[in-house]
Amino acid sequence: MSRSRVALAVVVVVAAIVIQTTVFAQGRIQPLGFAPALVTLVIVALSVYLEPEYLLLVGFTAGILVDLMGSSTLGLWAMTLTAVAYIAGRLKQTVVDRPLMLIFVVFGATVFGQFLYVLLATLFGHDTISEPRVLGNVVMPAVWNVLLAVPVFWILSKIFNRTTSRLAV
Amino acid sequence: MFSASGRQIDRATIIFLTLTAVAFIVATYDVRSSGEGVADTMREGTQSLFTPLQSGVDFVTRPVVGFVDGIANIAGLRDDNQRLASRVRELEASASESESLREQVIQLEAINGLTVPGELATVTARIGGSGASTFDNIRFIDKGSEDGIVAGQAVVDEDGLVGWVDLVSAKASRIRLIIDPAVSVGVRISRTNETGIVTGHGDGPLRLEMFRANEGVNVGDRVVTVGSRFPPGIAVGTIEASAKAEVGFVLRTGVNPAVRLSQLDYVKVIVGWSPIDAQLQDEDATPQTTVVPETTSTTEGSG
Repeated sequence: MSRSRVALAVVVVVAAIVIQTTVFAQGRIQPLGFAPALVTLVIVALSVYLEPEYLLLVGFTAGILVDLMGSSTLGLWAMTLTAVAYIAGRLKQTVVDRPLMLIFVVFGATVFGQFLYVLLATLFGHDTISEPRVLGNVVMPAVWNVLLAVPVFWILSKIFNRTTSRLAV
Repeated sequence: MFSASGRQIDRATIIFLTLTAVAFIVATYDVRSSGEGVADTMREGTQSLFTPLQSGVDFVTRPVVGFVDGIANIAGLRDDNQRLASRVRELEASASESESLREQVIQLEAINGLTVPGELATVTARIGGSGASTFDNIRFIDKGSEDGIVAGQAVVDEDGLVGWVDLVSAKASRIRLIIDPAVSVGVRISRTNETGIVTGHGDGPLRLEMFRANEGVNVGDRVVTVGSRFPPGIAVGTIEASAKAEVGFVLRTGVNPAVRLSQLDYVKVIVGWSPIDAQLQDEDATPQTTVVPETTSTTEGSG
């Protein structure tokens, strides 16, 4: 059961990366000039369906893929998304018990992820923190993630619940 | 799991710490290898795997994305229309003047026996996607080594320099945009002919540094490539703020990029130029060479 869910989660992450790099690429859909951080949102959403240990592995894999599809030092997004997965795993019960907390968890996790990446990238010599739109790049993806949270959580619930019921049969 | 200082550390925390340590080691290795070696091979492989997926999703979603983008920008379209109409009138007025200047340049070249990189071979490519994070200043194009593209070649569009190719696989390439802090370009101010270096600064204006400038720069001065890594005369941008040259100090100011990076669709990779060409040109040409190269497409972009 867990293995199939992890495999499904990796497929969802790959889909999120493809959508992030095409639909939400610069010059496509970027309201106010900023894109959502779809991969971070997906990691938070997957916390509902995966055990914390597996969520960490999926977060790390997602981070490595984002690093490989980006221009920064390999491993920075891996560290960032592993940390996001750790926090999301810790807050899983909060989200399940009180769905309204979802807004705060998604917003907080996205801001945390974006800010942690800025810090790590700066430590590794990318000077990201001095870029003019750094504040917008930290906050605005979190705003869009909150707006996208409901459809993304709904889609994942359909995917995972259907797969689980099929496996049960 | 086990006790440390009287507190239990669960399995998730141990895995988290282990993965963080692994990621840190990977990052350190990548920094030490300057993004080459195994990491570069992995990047090329991942890019090759994702390119067909990106092309498929891009093909399916492009009409919808264009529609949504159009609605989002409908307020700005009217302003753009007016601005473009006035720009067309200006260009029409200066077109005849440019033609006569062009003829003069050709005559002067013939007289002086200069060698200029006139007809540079290019490959037209379509932008297929961008980086997977909001901090990446890269784009992917649908042409690669099979089309003659190699790392280091300049990428331009109709407005000027877009960036350079920094990673190539068989059927796709990655462009590092001029706004990336890792990109530095040798430039010349068209008005004064003095040279400097422009460096990317994220989404803000490019940073211009001129170490031995005798004259200042004015707002709107045109900045073009000087001709070393890239062909000479490609528009880079215009000066953002005036600055004066003072003895013993580096002249520093901003440059607004000529290209609109948020609206890239098709670009051209200049495959007919290498830094060796620049060396040969330096030997043949005088410093007054200021001709903007005309490019010619050898490969059509695919839809």
